[in-house]
Amino acid sequence: MRRFTAFDASRMVLLLLAVVAVALPLLWVVLASFKTPADLNQPGLIWFTPTMANWTEVLGSDLFAAVGRSVLVATITVAIAVVVGSMGAYSIARFQTGGSLSRFGILASQVLPPAVLVFPFLSVAYMLRLNGTLVPVIFSHLSFVVPVVTWFLIGFFAAVPKEIEEQARVDGFNRFDTFRLVVLPQVLPGIGAAAIFGFTLSWNDMFYGLILSPANSTILPVAIAGFNTFRGVELGPMSAAIVIAIVPVVIASFFVQKRLVQGISGGAVKG
Amino acid sequence: MARVTFENVVKKYGDSTVVKGLDLELPDGAFTVLVGPSGCGKTTTLRMIAGLDDATSGTIRIGDKDVTRLEPKERDIAMVFQNYALYPHLTVRENLAFPLRAIRMNRTEALAKADAVAETMGLTALLDRKPKDLSGGQQQRVAIGRAIIREPAVFLFDEPLSNLDAKLRVEMRTELLQMQRRLGITSLFVTHDQEEAMTLSDFIVVMRDGEIAQQGKPKDVYDKPNSTFVAAFVGSPKMNLLDGAVASGVFSTKSGLSLPLKGVAAGAVTLGVRPDDLILDPKSTKGTNGRVGVIELLGPRAIVQVNGSGQSLTAVVEASRMTGIVEGAEVGIGIRDGSHHLFDTTTGLRI
Repeated sequence: MRRFTAFDASRMVLLLLAVVAVALPLLWVVLASFKTPADLNQPGLIWFTPTMANWTEVLGSDLFAAVGRSVLVATITVAIAVVVGSMGAYSIARFQTGGSLSRFGILASQVLPPAVLVFPFLSVAYMLRLNGTLVPVIFSHLSFVVPVVTWFLIGFFAAVPKEIEEQARVDGFNRFDTFRLVVLPQVLPGIGAAAIFGFTLSWNDMFYGLILSPANSTILPVAIAGFNTFRGVELGPMSAAIVIAIVPVVIASFFVQKRLVQGISGGAVKG
Repeated sequence: MARVTFENVVKKYGDSTVVKGLDLELPDGAFTVLVGPSGCGKTTTLRMIAGLDDATSGTIRIGDKDVTRLEPKERDIAMVFQNYALYPHLTVRENLAFPLRAIRMNRTEALAKADAVAETMGLTALLDRKPKDLSGGQQQRVAIGRAIIREPAVFLFDEPLSNLDAKLRVEMRTELLQMQRRLGITSLFVTHDQEEAMTLSDFIVVMRDGEIAQQGKPKDVYDKPNSTFVAAFVGSPKMNLLDGAVASGVFSTKSGLSLPLKGVAAGAVTLGVRPDDLILDPKSTKGTNGRVGVIELLGPRAIVQVNGSGQSLTAVVEASRMTGIVEGAEVGIGIRDGSHHLFDTTTGLRI
């Protein structure tokens, strides 16, 4: 048995601080969703009589239509991003397409503030008479999900040995079939992780949704913001809605955690 | 089955020319081995037949078909890579059947054929395993099985034995040769190991710096190497090459080693003697002498280093003739009659 040293102790303390910093707000939101408006005026209150009023209100509202629209937007975004991103990542990993510029370009697109793009999106959507639909929201989400998915997958594609591709070509397959039958199966875990990661990004976006989605049929984060009414913030129902929004993300993160580091490092970590 | 011909094939990578105007014919149905030191262009030559590298200029034919600009899949070839390149996500059975998918053979038929090939390769027990659960030798067998399943026009082997341990390498060598004899498919085998080249080949091609140094039957190349490069490269242990001059029937080096050499015109020359043509005699020390250095005992033979007048020589001596040959002993040095090779000292070419 190892002795418990001061180093171990300080490590535990740091870890505990991190957990508290992340988990406390979540815990607070969960508690708040069961509080009455009166109890909510005492943010530090831990012992209180729980009420289901907030949940009944939220469950009875049209919030679930917003959940459905968010699922739709995120699903379509991810489907497109995975197809485009995997081909792009393969091309960058295998043929060094664009040289070092392509990797830089992908990162640069992430540095750009969304405010730069949102008005072009809005005016194009207006000109194409697509305002009032979710199409501009999907396209705006693609603008940040495609680069992330591509970046995420480069490392996975780079790790596929070149010989098995050459073997497949000698075995009688063209380049596309080689990609489809031999390369893709090797990176499937990476693609799964990238899809979940991309889904989370789209799911959490509020800024594009706020400006581009139709006012009366919006996506979940915007709907949640809608609890901030002219009568004040309806903190109770809002907390319940936030819990609904967070749960899928927490579950998804649990599944991708192992591949997340590998993906985000974009080829710097092989394996 | 087909012969493969190269007509003036050149391959350049940027400014460096890797293959310099290759003219070569691989005989139909024969086992040809391409051998040379690393960087001589042998693997590039193989990859140009496969279609994985494009020839910069020249023509490559398989049979009568010009394949120079064709995709690998249009060439009817099969290849075994050094690291076997098995598909990690497929079982042994699926790996074997994979090339049949490309020609759209129906699945049941393809899998039945995979089972049949597995039987001949002794892989039946492993059919449902994934490559990562196989040993190196088993992976090698799967790679070869996958190559033979479609019965292609040409087999290409890129140093397929170099990742195996010594014992397995010799076994696989025999097996590979038997398989090639049975199927009679034109084969090209690339290696840097001259012993592998000698034992496997019907036809051997020695390459150097992107050019053919010599080609022919292994025995002919061994018996009559056309240059000091081939002489030193083919054969193990390496041929003794001595720079010197011949005067009145005696060859002597600058360091003072002299050996009788009859019937050779006077002048500067490089003398080549195979280690097994060097005779060491502990009893007759009247002529040329040398002192025995390191002895490596191989069992039936021994490799003996001899130092004669400052010149180090290698000899192979039968175990039965080792009496009196011990480290530090003085021995007479002679050359078996008519076994010497002569090369031009400046050009390195055979005289």
